[in-house]
Amino acid sequence: MSVATSLSEAPLPASGAEVIALRRTAVAGEAALGVRADNGITRLVELHQRDPLSLRLPQPGRGDIFEASLITTSGGVVGGDSLRIEITAGAGSALRVYPQAAEKIYRSLGADSRITVGLSASAGAWLEWLPQETILFDGARLRRDTNIELAPGARVLAGEFLVFGRRASGERLSRGLIHDGWRLRRGGKLVWADALHADGDLAAPLASPACLGGVTAFASLIYAAEDAAAQLEALRELLPEEPAGAQHALTAVNGLVVGRFLGEALAVRRSYGAFWAAARARLAGLPAALPRLWHV
Amino acid sequence: MTTVMVMGGTAMTETLDHAGLYRLMTWLSPGYPVGAFSYSHGLEYAVEEGTVTDAAALEIWLADLLRYGSGRNDAILFHYAHRLAERPAALAEVAALGAAFTASAERHLETTAQGRAFTEATLDAWPCAALERFLEAWDGPLAYPVVVAVAAAGHGLGLEPSLHAYLHAFTGNLVSAGVRLIPLGQRAGQQAIAALEPAVAETAAMALTTPLADLGGAGLLADLAAMKHETQYTRLFRS
Repeated sequence: MSVATSLSEAPLPASGAEVIALRRTAVAGEAALGVRADNGITRLVELHQRDPLSLRLPQPGRGDIFEASLITTSGGVVGGDSLRIEITAGAGSALRVYPQAAEKIYRSLGADSRITVGLSASAGAWLEWLPQETILFDGARLRRDTNIELAPGARVLAGEFLVFGRRASGERLSRGLIHDGWRLRRGGKLVWADALHADGDLAAPLASPACLGGVTAFASLIYAAEDAAAQLEALRELLPEEPAGAQHALTAVNGLVVGRFLGEALAVRRSYGAFWAAARARLAGLPAALPRLWHV
Repeated sequence: MTTVMVMGGTAMTETLDHAGLYRLMTWLSPGYPVGAFSYSHGLEYAVEEGTVTDAAALEIWLADLLRYGSGRNDAILFHYAHRLAERPAALAEVAALGAAFTASAERHLETTAQGRAFTEATLDAWPCAALERFLEAWDGPLAYPVVVAVAAAGHGLGLEPSLHAYLHAFTGNLVSAGVRLIPLGQRAGQQAIAALEPAVAETAAMALTTPLADLGGAGLLADLAAMKHETQYTRLFRS
């Protein structure tokens, strides 16, 4: 049953970057970013980074909010790696955080690749956690947990975006671990939880018509705020037409809006990005635009 | 004394006496007043949209819901609620997770409305101290698998037969929904229930060895169907 056994039975051709990544020892990266509002202007109060994680503070677009981009300098995540990210939006601040590029999760010889994300928003804060693709290689073991703490009056728009296999090579995942867990708390009280979880044989759930139905990508988002449920109908109006090979839907449950997008990776990226841009304009009066890096 | 033997995924085998069998069959029969017949768990959308159009597709859909999707989640919650039934504080954490862990508005209604109805009917006809203590420790929404597990443990009914009976009811109810929606004949419905016996057994066995941290599933298209059911034009079911 072990991943190592299945790999030895069916070795995969490794790319150059993957060979380099597999040779290195596991790393523990950290990134922490805190902002607060000072007379209505969001300012940096905390910036901590430890390799291979690093943060940049790009100039926001015209009329846009404080932003930070997250970079993994190791060229990808291997088994045993641990990445911890803590984002804190203080009272009244407005912040958008996003990765500089897609993230690769290489096949593991056994250990999980752990990514832990903490998002905390204080009263009156607007916090966006905008994903790019997390690309799972066959045999990857990803265990990612995103924990959100929301104060009364805070608003969070957050998501994740998974791609099952290297698209360019048409790779299909056969084995590994996909655990993408979410916990949302208000005042320390758990209000919403979710986890995509599949362990061991991935080929069967990825092909199943009740599970992933052969799609290559899954993106999710939540909008958590006091007005979330009241915004459901307006947000549904912003969903683009479903392109061929992709589906999406929104629901409102336990006081937040949850969105799911499934399909071919490029189609999901287009719908998801278009919806995200429109949603931030509708919800927060911000430019209906994604960061320049999102389009690279 | 006759006993029903239920084999689990572990070496442990639990027995159930006549009284226990009587109670599980009562609580998990379609006649128990939880309104199970009114929920399709998103199946109504999957039928309408053309994913589930015959008995074979229904079997695949339900087997995968059990192995990888919401059936798996219910089974894991059931396992921990049963084990922690006499520890109200720890049980309240499982209950909080059960109430929070929900894929859509209608799925939330499905589990909490049935959980509430099961609790009321059981306190009325089959009261037990474990269920009463649980309700003192937890006043939030009641996830259906959690309250059935607490009642079963409170009546001394073993985890394995109780979990098996719960998953049988989950399966039987959705087959019944499929029979009405597709539609299928009653014989095809019974054949589907027979064919799903191994998936129920595997799911029950899996739940006994799964840590609570691995709660979750991959039933994303079933979840999406449940979400899209909310805006489906004609609906017979509440989910």
